[in-house]
Amino acid sequence: MRRAFLAGCLILGAATAGASLAAAPTMVGKPAPDFVLRGLDGRNLRLSEFRGQVVLVNFWARWAGDSQKEMSALDRINTTYQRAGLVVLGVSVDEDLRRAQEFASSMAVSYPMLFDTGSVIGKDYFLQKMPMTILVDRAGVVRYSIVGFKRGDEHIFLDQIRELLRE
Amino acid sequence: MVYGALSSAWMAAAVAAAPATAADTAPAAAAPGARTPAAPKPGAPKPGAADSSAPEAPAATAPVAAPDAPPAELKTLDQEVQGLKKDVIDLNKDLFVLQEELLFPANTQVALYISMDVGAFFALDSVTVKIDNKEVKNYLYTAREADALLKGGVQQIYLGNLKVGKHELVAFFTGKGPVERGYKRGATISFDKGVGAKYLELKITDRVPKHQPEFMIKDWE
Repeated sequence: MRRAFLAGCLILGAATAGASLAAAPTMVGKPAPDFVLRGLDGRNLRLSEFRGQVVLVNFWARWAGDSQKEMSALDRINTTYQRAGLVVLGVSVDEDLRRAQEFASSMAVSYPMLFDTGSVIGKDYFLQKMPMTILVDRAGVVRYSIVGFKRGDEHIFLDQIRELLRE
Repeated sequence: MVYGALSSAWMAAAVAAAPATAADTAPAAAAPGARTPAAPKPGAPKPGAADSSAPEAPAATAPVAAPDAPPAELKTLDQEVQGLKKDVIDLNKDLFVLQEELLFPANTQVALYISMDVGAFFALDSVTVKIDNKEVKNYLYTAREADALLKGGVQQIYLGNLKVGKHELVAFFTGKGPVERGYKRGATISFDKGVGAKYLELKITDRVPKHQPEFMIKDWE
């Protein structure tokens, strides 16, 4: 009886989650909302200034366990494809700026780390789960949106990046 | 081979000034500038046809349309497209102007502009604007935007509505001052908002004798 009840709850939860994911709004196909944020190095960076290049924006937070793994993968991608015109930007949505900066410093990645402490752009990008990565094409349109990260997802990024760089 | 043979037959017919009965056979092989008569409906024999000696037959091996029609059609289509594009741009412009007039009517409109001069003593990072103690704008400048200001650009940093009467505007400028030190300065102005649009300028200049930047707010004339 108890097992049947637990199974029923699991099925209901999965169905609800599936429905909520299916109904979750997405920016894919729409122009990427512009933003300007301060980076770890003190420089301000504006997304629209990279128009003409393929941009990968990775939204992360310290408390999202997959963020650390993803950053290592994105660092490798940035090192390889930067010369081909890819721009990688990391955006922290952590409200604690000091800790977010410490974490970003410890990761020591090769791409710019920006900080959105006011969670201003989170609303524009419908951020619901961390980490989330979007790919913006040369015309400034969001083409792909990937939520979460697990080992092996790097090749998914690579396929999509190559496709956009070829355009 | 069949195609070549047919084209030869057609050319022979054209040279002999035969009546234009060979309709649409291989016009690509025709001499440049040669005019072919209007093509009948393609009832052409199949490309593998072996009959190569019938210039009178409408033997088209490839469904190629008469060369005159496409360029004229394309030209008209192109003109139409250009016309539509122009209409869209004009409409967009009109909509923008209407939107500004609707949202920011002239009798309540207030606009702030920012400009920078020289910039030897100050590298602009951000500007925060408060009107009547309420923050209305916080703008971060990238290196490219700051450079544009230094080159003489003027930016409309804020556009809003204010009621008629007395108001106070405070602007905080953050950046790097002389010797790359962090720098934050404020400037304030009290003004009367009358009927009609109000334009104010936030100006950053270099005060050379003191080796310090100077920040001021004034009416933009």
